[in-house]
Amino acid sequence: MGAGLLSWALLSQAQQRNPPSEVQKAVDEFRVQARALGLTGEGAKQQVKTVRSSRGRWHGRLFHNFRNDFLDATPHEVAQRGGEKNILRRNQFGLNVSGPVVIPKLYDGGRNTFFTFTYEGMREKIGRSSLHTISRPEERTGDWSGTVDNAGVLLPIYDPVTTALNPAYDPARDVTTENLQYNRLPFPNNRIPTTRLDPVAQNALTYYPAPNSDAGPFFRNNYFVFAPEINSANGVIARVDHTAGSRHRVGFGMSLSNGQDGAPALIPTLANPGNAIRSRASRRGTLEHVFTISPTRLNTLTFEASSDRLQNKPETDGSGRVFPQYLFSPYLSMGRSTPDRRSSRNTFVLVNGHSVRRENHRLRLVGQVIREQVNIFAPYYPEGSYRFSAGITSLPGIVNTGHAFASFLLGMANFAEQTVTVSPSYFRKTRYIASISDNWEVRKGLTLSFSFSLDMNTPRTEKYDRMSTISLSEINPVNGRPGALVTAGHNGYGRSFQPFLMKGEPSMGVAWNILGRTGSVLRASYGRSYSPIPIYSSQWSTQAFNGTPTWVSANPQLAPAVVLSQGLPANRVFPDLRPEAANNTQADLMEPTGRQPTYQSAGISVEHGLPAALVMTLGFGHSNGRNLLLNASNPNAIHLDALEYRDQLNDENFNRSLRPYPHYQRFNVYSAWPEGRYWRNAAYVRAEKRLSQGLSFSAYYELSKQMDNYSGPYGVQDYYNRQNEWSLTAGNNPQRVTMTYNYELPFGPNRSFLAVSDWRRYLVDGWSVSGSTTMVTGEPMALRPMFNNTGGVVEALRVNVVPGVDPHVAARGPDLWFNPAAFAQPADFTIGDASRTHPSLRMPSSQNHDLSVNKRISLTPEKSVEFSMVGLNFINHANWSDPDTLIGTDASPNVNAGKIIGSRGGRVIQLGLRFSF
Amino acid sequence: MKRALALSLLVSFALWAEPPAAPERRNLRVPFWLNDANPEPLDKVKVAINAKPAKLLRVLTPKEELVLLVVLDWATDLTMVDPARQEFLKQLESLPPNVHVALLRAQDGLKVLADPGTPREDVAKLVREAAVVGRAGLLDSIEPAQMLADAIAAKAKVRLAVLFLSDSTITNYREDYTNPVVNSSDSGDMSRRFPEGLVQEKIKQLMAAVLSRETPLFLVQANSQQDRVSTAYLNGLLSLARASGGAGELCRTTAEIPTAVARMLDSIQTLGAAEVEWQTGKSRQLQFVVAAEGRTLYHQPRRMLKGTRP
Repeated sequence: MGAGLLSWALLSQAQQRNPPSEVQKAVDEFRVQARALGLTGEGAKQQVKTVRSSRGRWHGRLFHNFRNDFLDATPHEVAQRGGEKNILRRNQFGLNVSGPVVIPKLYDGGRNTFFTFTYEGMREKIGRSSLHTISRPEERTGDWSGTVDNAGVLLPIYDPVTTALNPAYDPARDVTTENLQYNRLPFPNNRIPTTRLDPVAQNALTYYPAPNSDAGPFFRNNYFVFAPEINSANGVIARVDHTAGSRHRVGFGMSLSNGQDGAPALIPTLANPGNAIRSRASRRGTLEHVFTISPTRLNTLTFEASSDRLQNKPETDGSGRVFPQYLFSPYLSMGRSTPDRRSSRNTFVLVNGHSVRRENHRLRLVGQVIREQVNIFAPYYPEGSYRFSAGITSLPGIVNTGHAFASFLLGMANFAEQTVTVSPSYFRKTRYIASISDNWEVRKGLTLSFSFSLDMNTPRTEKYDRMSTISLSEINPVNGRPGALVTAGHNGYGRSFQPFLMKGEPSMGVAWNILGRTGSVLRASYGRSYSPIPIYSSQWSTQAFNGTPTWVSANPQLAPAVVLSQGLPANRVFPDLRPEAANNTQADLMEPTGRQPTYQSAGISVEHGLPAALVMTLGFGHSNGRNLLLNASNPNAIHLDALEYRDQLNDENFNRSLRPYPHYQRFNVYSAWPEGRYWRNAAYVRAEKRLSQGLSFSAYYELSKQMDNYSGPYGVQDYYNRQNEWSLTAGNNPQRVTMTYNYELPFGPNRSFLAVSDWRRYLVDGWSVSGSTTMVTGEPMALRPMFNNTGGVVEALRVNVVPGVDPHVAARGPDLWFNPAAFAQPADFTIGDASRTHPSLRMPSSQNHDLSVNKRISLTPEKSVEFSMVGLNFINHANWSDPDTLIGTDASPNVNAGKIIGSRGGRVIQLGLRFSF
Repeated sequence: MKRALALSLLVSFALWAEPPAAPERRNLRVPFWLNDANPEPLDKVKVAINAKPAKLLRVLTPKEELVLLVVLDWATDLTMVDPARQEFLKQLESLPPNVHVALLRAQDGLKVLADPGTPREDVAKLVREAAVVGRAGLLDSIEPAQMLADAIAAKAKVRLAVLFLSDSTITNYREDYTNPVVNSSDSGDMSRRFPEGLVQEKIKQLMAAVLSRETPLFLVQANSQQDRVSTAYLNGLLSLARASGGAGELCRTTAEIPTAVARMLDSIQTLGAAEVEWQTGKSRQLQFVVAAEGRTLYHQPRRMLKGTRP
């Protein structure tokens, strides 16, 4: 006690002699305040507790976004038709909360364990409108006396029963009205007798609606659909982070979402051809461990599992059957594909990344395993799909005669198929990736980066080996020709039909501060990569187990494949593993070599800092790809040389005999045939202004050109000459400008104007405006002929170019966007010579301007309310619709060719309220 | 008529003068810094508040003691962290003896690693050993770091600054500022058309706090990404630093990181502070102008005195 008093007295004397320096005062205060604020090690948790409870440190927000049609402008395309806005009711709401994990009396996460939780719900009812063409009531009773073609001329309907060979036919000449191969009589007065109408078709028509519009021209666009779509969703994202010591962090995250994708009923009956109402459920879980081995060595281990499930809700009649599909283009069809469908895609990903910093090198090693599962049950046409063409009611060989719906009335389908799905499919594949990368600072201002990945893919397998394909080397027992069905695990075939793939993926890059100046950066990069062959969500390539029996007309102009009233012939029993089991069908063909899509890209850019917080970037990029997986491929296509056989091609047997594998129709390669190629060059300039005076913005301009051999938009003319498909990419916008900006209005406390601090600050303070603008020039135009009389040889016929006629017009506008006289319908059984997409004609350009106005009211330092108004296309700009690119014949021209009918777009507004705490 | 009425209402609203304020005498500290290498001492520092000259009590020049709170926010990428670490260690050795470095860490809440009295070699050891782990913590550290520094400034006549060395990305925070899609099936979602809203909200909240404090914030952000949310985040960090009277550097390449660290430390060493007496009115919004003959001074442009709501 005495010693303590003595030392206190000595200390006081010493302090009086040497008062603490300002630095010592600062250090002492630092220590005091650090303890008080809970910033020091041991006592920290306790201190924090005394200042604020853990629950008091929770932050989050409640929000509600609201849309209603009264806020929106009437879309231009609706207004031009004299229509009114569709109904819209949309509420999106939710909450987010995050903070330390607290379990009362059990656990206080304090600094170490932290959670975040988000819930979001959505309820939406939206009216959808669309315009279609359906048959007129007179036509349904067989009266076609008032039906005209695209030029307004009576469309003759011929009676297939009256078909007879023309004894005067001269095979040396083309089939024309003067040289008919077959004679056939039109129905008297262009009326089909009611006794000839197929009863099944007539019964189906009781589910078909009556016209309700007369938009035209010529009775076309006579059915206006206005139907509600009801959507809903509920989802949760949750995450917990825990820090253990100074070297370990563990994170667990999960999300789940359930939703319903509504679909407007195009027909309010069982025969609705629109999409099925679909329910979705997604689940995702992530576990992450970050281990700091040393200050220069880091290891991250992550495991993620996810599942996405989809289910179509089938609409059935009293006996549990769905409606068959009837296709009779150009009229709105009946019934839909995959009315009943269930699928789930599960993915499991394990990744370990190891980063090491050693001198001027930063090395990163990554190992990754990805396991994919697709479980699916998706019968396309459980009650059959029937396709009707004009052929059977046409004058054989003469275009613009007959009608698909008239063929339907007679019940004469030229093609029919039915899907017999015995069991679901359970597809599996695994991908392994090992990569190493190095970031090397060669010297001050110069960094090189290299990486190399080894990407290994196992081929697709099926859990129970219920997988099949066509082997093009096996001999078919029916005709002794190559091409036979083979199944996984049988006759020497393994569990899969493709090889194990292993590819090296190099990439490199450089970042150089030009001449040592930090304001300017030159970047260059090159990379080569391969994308894996995906598992699609379909039961493709299980034909031996889930068959699709097909019936094809021997000659679609002369005989039907099936007659509705007679029903489909009896089906085979599945599984059917015979080599000939897929004969006469559209056979599923899996590419056997496993060629992977290959991509290369290179780019260079210069970034330069300018005064006024402005950064400019100028860059150029090139990319190309080959072996891209296509759907528009058909290794069983008929060579175009066969067009010389002209009308003979309408004979199915003859037609099929010309195919490389005549015992099949076309091959179904399901977007997995590696034939696609493309390249793209793009130059761009970007300006970015950092925040100053409350304003920040970025602007981006790109000039690009992209070519490919696959992008359609209408399909492929010649499968055997892909080079002939090489043209501008459909959908490529050559010029694109995007701008985004944010401006905090300079009003309110501590701002330049209206710096009031009383109640008026609630009105003037906290306003900000954000916006984005996109402007693009039009994509390349693709022209197509009105008729395709090529005997089924050419799937996507192009137009002919008329020599010497300029396709461009002087005063381009909606009345005439291009000169249709520069193009012509190709003669029968010839191909068009125009390129797939036109090299200089472009669709109209378009622009969109979005704006968000926000007003924040601060209630306390930590609580605020924010009101927002988001306007998409807020200036209500109307973008022109695309011109009509259909080119008719001289006798039957398309009167709308080259014209733009109407415009589209309309302002959409959303109001939002958010309370943050 | 209606338009004229509305216009006159608007004008009268805008011109509506605030009621006269009760006078209150306060001592204020206004930090400033130079962005030049001129070794000449500062001459005739003048401070004006709300366009009126303030009574100068004292000037802390760059020769006075400086307490520098260095906050490490290293959680994402070794590639970014190591150049910053090496350069800071290099600069630490050459800092003059009147600079006293305290070391703090932003992960899992602001934590003190070393107080300002810690020997340099110990600070250097801690920097060398600082782990790259955890979640980004910069946004959560600004307020407590400034509170700590302001409290010291109130007790000791030393210069004060906070320097953040960060590689944080907006996606690496514990709290969710990126507004990720919750329901992927919701195709009509417009609420994410402007995804930067949550970041901007957080920045506005912090801005109110920064404007009520006096210690300048300096920042080296080593990880500059260019998507919209990241851009809003980086813009926000810069605006916070400027509003505090400090400055920020965004590095676009790893090569720029050492230069940025060196430049920030150079600026911090030029830090000074003017202590003035100010008679406040009811309005507690202060607008500063700090000037010295022949020199360009950087300082906090505005401050909201405590006791007022932002």
